Parts: sequence; structure tokens; C-alpha cells
Amino acid sequence: MNKNLSVNMKDLLKLIGVLLILISFAAILSKGVFLRPINLFNITIQNLILMIAALGQLLIIISGGIDLSVGSIVGFSGVLFVLLQDMTEPLTYIIALMVVIIIGGISGVLVTCVKLPSFVVTMAMSYIVFSLAKIIGGGASVYTGISGGEISATVLSLYKSHFLGLPYALIIAVLCIIGVSLYFRTSMGHFIYTIGGNEKTALLSGVPVVRVRISAYILAAILASIAGIMFVGRVGLGDPQAGDLLTLDSIAAVTVGGASLSGGVGTVAGTVMGVLILGVLNNILNMLNVSPSIQPAVKGIIILLAVYLNSRKNRS
Amino acid sequence: MCRNHSLKTFREGFNKYSILIVLSIIILYALFFVPHFASRINLMAIMFQYSIIAFLALGQMLVVLTGGIDLSQGSLVALTSIIAAVAMSHFGLVPALLLAVIGCTLLGITSGTLVAYTKMPPFIITLGMLGIGRGLAKFIANAKPVPIQDPFFRSLGRKVIFGIPLSVILLLIVCVVLVWFLRNRRLGRYIYAVGSNEESARLSGINTKKVKLFAYSMSALLTSIGGLVWAARLGSGSPIGGANYEMESIAAVIVGGGSLSGGKGSVTGTIAGVLLFGVINSILNLSGISPFWQGAIKGVFILLAVAASQIHSKKNVSMERWAENE
Repeated sequence: MNKNLSVNMKDLLKLIGVLLILISFAAILSKGVFLRPINLFNITIQNLILMIAALGQLLIIISGGIDLSVGSIVGFSGVLFVLLQDMTEPLTYIIALMVVIIIGGISGVLVTCVKLPSFVVTMAMSYIVFSLAKIIGGGASVYTGISGGEISATVLSLYKSHFLGLPYALIIAVLCIIGVSLYFRTSMGHFIYTIGGNEKTALLSGVPVVRVRISAYILAAILASIAGIMFVGRVGLGDPQAGDLLTLDSIAAVTVGGASLSGGVGTVAGTVMGVLILGVLNNILNMLNVSPSIQPAVKGIIILLAVYLNSRKNRS
Repeated sequence: MCRNHSLKTFREGFNKYSILIVLSIIILYALFFVPHFASRINLMAIMFQYSIIAFLALGQMLVVLTGGIDLSQGSLVALTSIIAAVAMSHFGLVPALLLAVIGCTLLGITSGTLVAYTKMPPFIITLGMLGIGRGLAKFIANAKPVPIQDPFFRSLGRKVIFGIPLSVILLLIVCVVLVWFLRNRRLGRYIYAVGSNEESARLSGINTKKVKLFAYSMSALLTSIGGLVWAARLGSGSPIGGANYEMESIAAVIVGGGSLSGGKGSVTGTIAGVLLFGVINSILNLSGISPFWQGAIKGVFILLAVAASQIHSKKNVSMERWAENE
């Protein structure tokens, strides 16, 4: 355990190193503009939604699966939340939450009890949920509740109002980070690593595999729906396509952050670093005026490099 | 789970042919109950459209057989079409086709090399290649569609011989070669061996790295053929085309009995999987079901098909029994 911890620390330091190198590179390129607090702050704020979605992705990837439905759930829960706006405020949150718990639960049950590969389950789920978002919202973005209710002022102020100088959105993201970290400290959370490492061994040592897996999928769906509601707060509407890029970006962030797609490996701190690295990278590409058409190629190469460096370490 | 022996043999038999049975039932239903399904225009449309996905799915199947996954296919379709379109106006037809195929295959060889000789997961490597392919396509084309002027190449896209589109004939040839190759050639058998158990394949002297490199290169090669068919049919190259085609090809392979953990999958199953999606899409369109619902129906269908084919597969049965004994 102690040795594990030090290995984790080393990985984290490496990631921080990568981030610092990227930041100093950006600082030199921009002649210091990059380092202005407002720019650093903006990068963080721009990536909060990805951060929360990536935390959910992390839960699934550590358990040995993959979640291709994150993006659709983000879009769907945004649309659903906006359409619910005619009700009293607590009710909107509760209903939105219940619906995504059901969605996550279904994925979890299909993966654990029916034993379908999580890739297939979440891929099918993403089709279904995306379709649902279009069905309930009429295929387009939605701006008000079904009978015209305005979007709640609390949600719209997530990115505008501050508490102790910090926007609410940032506080929510930090709470999610702390929440997921604490969850990994509980026995249920710890079992996710056990299952991802070796499911047979976990089952034989009495780990409640079914319960642990299903809760991981439900938690991931809840995190995705929080990200979806934050999206509504950021742009002021519900869009079924809100999460289109989030699925692959969240997988990239989690993997860059040192998690392994074969399960059992990964940390919250690493994922946070992964998200920040991708965010800084995007910022640098924009700053360098790299044409948007070649950006995916550059991003692809850098993700490959990051994962390659990470995989070399595992060999030794 | 299956204590009754005769029931078990029935189930195993059903499992082996389940995709073909499901496909025939759905086609029969469509022929009799869906108006216009049996019309020549509709059948041609299905054949034209899904022969492209079929090329991709066959390549995907080779990769999935080795236990990997190829997410780069969609953007490679775009890249092939762009290289072909741009090169055709400069160098003529044949060099353009060669350049497109070689360029696309080179990216596949790169993925294959990375998969075989590093420890990175195929998912991430091909995800990176997805970005690289898309970026290159947009870069070469300046992010705009490039029209193809060559009348002969364009006519190939609509060519019909004895009532069958040229692309389908090409596809059939590829299928026959692949079936023969997977059954009778050493490398073909090795692909199954590597996917079933890489460690034991390696220990019995198989060069697993070469096998993997081959699978990813072939996937890109077949994808480039699909991309050319697509470009010929469209009459232009598009840098944003082919988006999410890899998801359709993966779904087809899995519905056709393939397993993402490797070692399982067949040419017949894969083609049946592609056809299944083609027929279902066509039924959904012809029956006037709102396009909003189509994704949901497709999703439910993927789940049902995979559940039907996987639930009795050997691995799971033994796993369940073993779990029951505990």
C-alpha cells in the first residue's frame, strides 16, 4: 500500500511536470500574457464541465469498463432539466436526478447482470439517450419549460455569481472532485479498484461485484447530469448535442491522467491534471493560431505522446 | 443455467446461426409488410449505402478478432476521399487511387506498429489516429469539400452490372478472399489464435506483433476501398465525411457475433450484421417513424442482438456456472 502510494505520487508529479512544461511553453510563446491570472482562471472555468464528466468516466474506467454515453447524458439531462422548469425548483433537480439514476442503473444492470460488454451497452445507451433528448425537446435546443417556465435563476447564475470570489460552478466542480475522492476512500469505492484489477479475484474474495458496479454506473450518470445542468447554466439553453465532444475528450483526459483502459488503475488527482493538460493544450493551439482544421491532428499526436510516456513506465 | 441437455444443444445451434435467423425474419417481415421495401430503388439504395460500411466492418472485424479496436475508420474514409479528389485533378485517375490507398494504409500501418510494439491500448492509439486522420483531411482540403471531375471515376460509383452495383461485386470478391484467407492461410488462423489467447499464441511461437500489425494495416486498406467507393458515389471528397462510421462498423461486427475481447467473429456474421442495420434503417425510414425515434430503436436493437448472441456464449456460461458453484 505504501509503495503504491509513492508510485501514485510519482505519477502525479510527472503529470504536474508535463503541465508546468506546457504552461512555461505557453508563457514564453505569449510573452507572459498566458500567465495572467485572468487567463489561467478562464482556462479552469472553461473546462469545469469536462472535469465533472471526466470524473464519472474515471469511475467506469477504473472498474474496467468504458462509458461512451457520457456525452449523450450531458445533452439529455440539460434538455430534460430545461423542460422541467415549470415545476418548483427542488422538484426539477429531483426528477432530473431520478431519470439519470434510472439510465445509469440500466447500463449497470446490463453490464453486470446480463454480462454485456460495457462498450456495447454504453454505445447503445448513447444512441438511445441522444434520441430521447431529441424526442422530448423536439429535436432542437430548448429555452423554456414545456409551458413556458423560465430557466431557474440559480442555474443561470452558476457562472456569474461568486461566493468568496469564486464562481459557483467552480465550487460545484471542486465539491464533485472532493466527493469522488471521498467515495474512493469508502469500501464501495475501494472495491471499484479491486474489480477493475481482477474481477474473478474480487468475486472470490467476497466483493459485492454487482452492487459496486451498478453504483459506479449510477454515480457516473449523476456526474454527467450535473455537467449537463452546468452546461445549461453556461449557455442558457438545453441542447441535445451539448456533449458531443465530451465522450472522447473525457476518455482522453482520464487516460492522459494515467488511468489504464484495462481497469484497476487511475486517480482523481491524475484525472484533474489530465483535464487541465488538455485545457492548456487547447489554449496554446488557439494562441499559436494553429488553424482549427489541423488542431485535431496535433491534439491526437500529443495524446499519443502522453499515453506513450505513461505506458513505458508501466513496463519497468 | 442450461441444465437441460437438449435445450443446450438447441441453444448452441441457435446461437451460431441466431444472427442469420434474425436477419431472415426481419427481411421476410419487411418484404411482406413494409410498403416499397421490395422496390428496386430501395434495394439498390441499401446495397450502395451499406457496401461502404461493409468494407469498414470487414476491416474492423480483423482488428476485433485480435482483441483490438479501430476508431480511426471514419476519419480515414474522409482522408481517402480527399487524397483521391485532390490527387485526381493533378496526376490523373490511377495515380490518385494508388495515392489514396497508400496514404490511408500508411496511417493504418502506423497504428498497427504502435499497437504491436508499444504497450498503449488500441483504443487510445486509434483515437489519436482518428484526430490525425481528420486533421490531415481538413488540412489537405483546406476544410472544404473537393469536387471530383473525372467522369469515369464518377460513373464507377453508379455502375450496375447484371443488376448488382459494382461496389457490391467488389465487396463479394473481398468477402470470398477473406473467408479463404481466414480459413486456409496460416496468418489467418494466427489472427484467431492471437485474439483468443495472446500469451499462449506467443508461447507457441506465433509472432503476435506481426499479426497485429497486419490486422490494423488491413483494416486501413479495406477502409480506403470503402472511402473510394464513397467518394465515387458522392462525386467529391469531403473532409467531414464518414463521421461515426467506425461506430456503425463496430456495432455490425459485434451484432454479427464478434466479441471485443477477441477471438470471435466471422465474415458471414459481420456481413449479416451490416445488412441487419441496413434493413432496419430502411424499415424505419419507410414506415415513416420520426427520425428522433430511430436512434433509440437502433440502440435497443443493438442491445437485444448482442444480448441474444452473448448470453449463451461459452465464456459466459462457464462464468455463470462457476459463479453458481461458489
